[in-house]
Amino acid sequence: MLDESKPLFIAVAEQIEDGILDGTYPEDTPVPSTNELAAFLRINPATAGKGLNRLADAGVLVKRRGVGMFVAPGAADLLRQRRRDDFARDYIVPLLREAAHLGIAPHELTAMITTEAPR
Amino acid sequence: MRYRSVIDMHFVNRMQAVGWQPIALAIAFAVVLAIGAILGAQGPEAVAGMHEGMRFNGAIFAILGPMIGYGFTSMGQYFPLALGLGVTRREFATGVSLVFLGNAVVYSVLITIGKIIEVATDGFGLHIRFFDVLYVGTGPAWQTLIQSFLVLLATMLLGAAITTVFLRFGQGFLWTAGAVLALLVVALLAGIVFLDGFGRALLDLLTMGWWSWMGVIAAIGLASAAVWLLLVRRTQVR
Amino acid sequence: MTAIETRNLTKRFGDVAAVEDVTLDLTENRVHGLLGRNGAGKTTLMKLLTAQLFPTAGQMRVLGEDPRENVPVLSQTCFIQESQKYPDGFRPRDVLSIASGLYPHWDEQLARDLVGEFRLPQKRAIKKLSRGQLSAVGIVIGLASRAPLTFFDEPYLGLDVVARRLFFDRLLADFAEHPRTVILSTHHIDEVANLLEHVVLLDEGRVVIDEEAETLQSAAIEVSGRAEEVREFAAHGDVMRIQEIGGLATATVHACEGRAEQAARAAGLQVAPVSLQEYIVHRTTHATSSS
Repeated sequence: MLDESKPLFIAVAEQIEDGILDGTYPEDTPVPSTNELAAFLRINPATAGKGLNRLADAGVLVKRRGVGMFVAPGAADLLRQRRRDDFARDYIVPLLREAAHLGIAPHELTAMITTEAPR
Repeated sequence: MRYRSVIDMHFVNRMQAVGWQPIALAIAFAVVLAIGAILGAQGPEAVAGMHEGMRFNGAIFAILGPMIGYGFTSMGQYFPLALGLGVTRREFATGVSLVFLGNAVVYSVLITIGKIIEVATDGFGLHIRFFDVLYVGTGPAWQTLIQSFLVLLATMLLGAAITTVFLRFGQGFLWTAGAVLALLVVALLAGIVFLDGFGRALLDLLTMGWWSWMGVIAAIGLASAAVWLLLVRRTQVR
Repeated sequence: MTAIETRNLTKRFGDVAAVEDVTLDLTENRVHGLLGRNGAGKTTLMKLLTAQLFPTAGQMRVLGEDPRENVPVLSQTCFIQESQKYPDGFRPRDVLSIASGLYPHWDEQLARDLVGEFRLPQKRAIKKLSRGQLSAVGIVIGLASRAPLTFFDEPYLGLDVVARRLFFDRLLADFAEHPRTVILSTHHIDEVANLLEHVVLLDEGRVVIDEEAETLQSAAIEVSGRAEEVREFAAHGDVMRIQEIGGLATATVHACEGRAEQAARAAGLQVAPVSLQEYIVHRTTHATSSS
């Protein structure tokens, strides 16, 4: 359920981010509370809280006193921009490295991508 | 008031708390009644002999078995659970002392009432002795009350003390105590056989006055209580 | 506030030191894991902290005070022992009724709910219960006691998957609503890893790790790739273990706050996380072989 390769609170934050990106949590709607998240993911509430706070610090969530955390206006765009920035590091670099291992030249790779794309 | 929980613990197992003592007494009593009925059919001489002989009738001791068992289970079974549930040793000792006292009061009153009835009905019409015996006093009823109270209390405390010493010092204690006891018996026997006047002195000692005997029983009870209370404060639950 | 504070706490049985020189500060209202192999001294340490055993040397403060013969401390402390002995003839309902009189924060409704959920036969003699049912008795007491300091010693021995889930869910839910200090002692680390905020690892009576769980979860990484590249990489790092198969190798290395991962990625090696359980296995085997 959670990405095991990262610290738990980052995995929690990323799961909420995914929800914001795919429209599960539209802007200005509440996200699950610390305790709800903890119970759902079977993790310590402190960890869940840390994940949420990370998003609040990044401006993705806003705290509303006494009500909980809400998706900030423009959060989805913010996340999309950040993920685009990460895309090269997370996907292109490993792709190129593996391609190099297999002896696929960059122009061949481009051709492969173009062939696969319409599907 | 957490010592209440310690008392409650003692009453969870009803048979242990209030069952075995009356049952043991009732069985012993029934046996004595049966003996009375059988001997009663053999003429007045046999009955008179029985009445005298039954002065030493130890059937009343049937209650001491469950009583010493009380001491064993209190320390052996309830102590680890009580400490496991966060009871302090002092609270535990308070609760157990109250349980012991309560038992001693209830059964000494019961025995005294039994004795009064026994004396009044001339051995329940069968000339037997069950309550009116040496061990709980053949004197007036108040003596029986005090004597049975002391004997019962001392027995429970002794049971608790033995178990506590065992918990504290382990198996070694049991073997040592057994050996010391055996040595004492051998020494006494040797004294009686080889020393002039030793047997007589011993007899004099054993037939000392009622108050002296009460002192001895009270001393045993006090010593047990002291050992128990002293050690319980240092006893650990492994 | 600090719930538990020990300074050089030591307990010897004869010449054997079951707990040796343990110095710890456990913060209140968190879930602490007390981990270690069988015989590492976990139970002995908890028995010292709950005043069932007396220390040979050292100091301890539980909820700010010496726990020995201390009613205010012990009535706020609940210790669920894996090896708790129950007297003959006791049934779960008897133990629960006695426990309810001893813990000031006892929640009777919660106790009843839990008995139902764990399907605990209330009126069967405890001696006749299965190992799992026996564990359930402890769990019900531990949760329903709402004690500000609760110790669970191997709480789920013999429990099936459903019951274990139930325990974790109930513990989390209750912990979230009523924050308290929980000390969870176990050698099944994987199952509890996500519940722990702080971890203490004991080995042969001594503290080997005393660290935030999060730090430990990213304390080591597993680097794999072509054997010579991995060996080359390992030569510069803090290596816990290295394994080779054919031309490939896998090395478990200290993460060094992410620097190891960066270096490994730069060297074109594959990087995988090391779970808390694996990390602890490495640390215990390492500690034993070096002693």
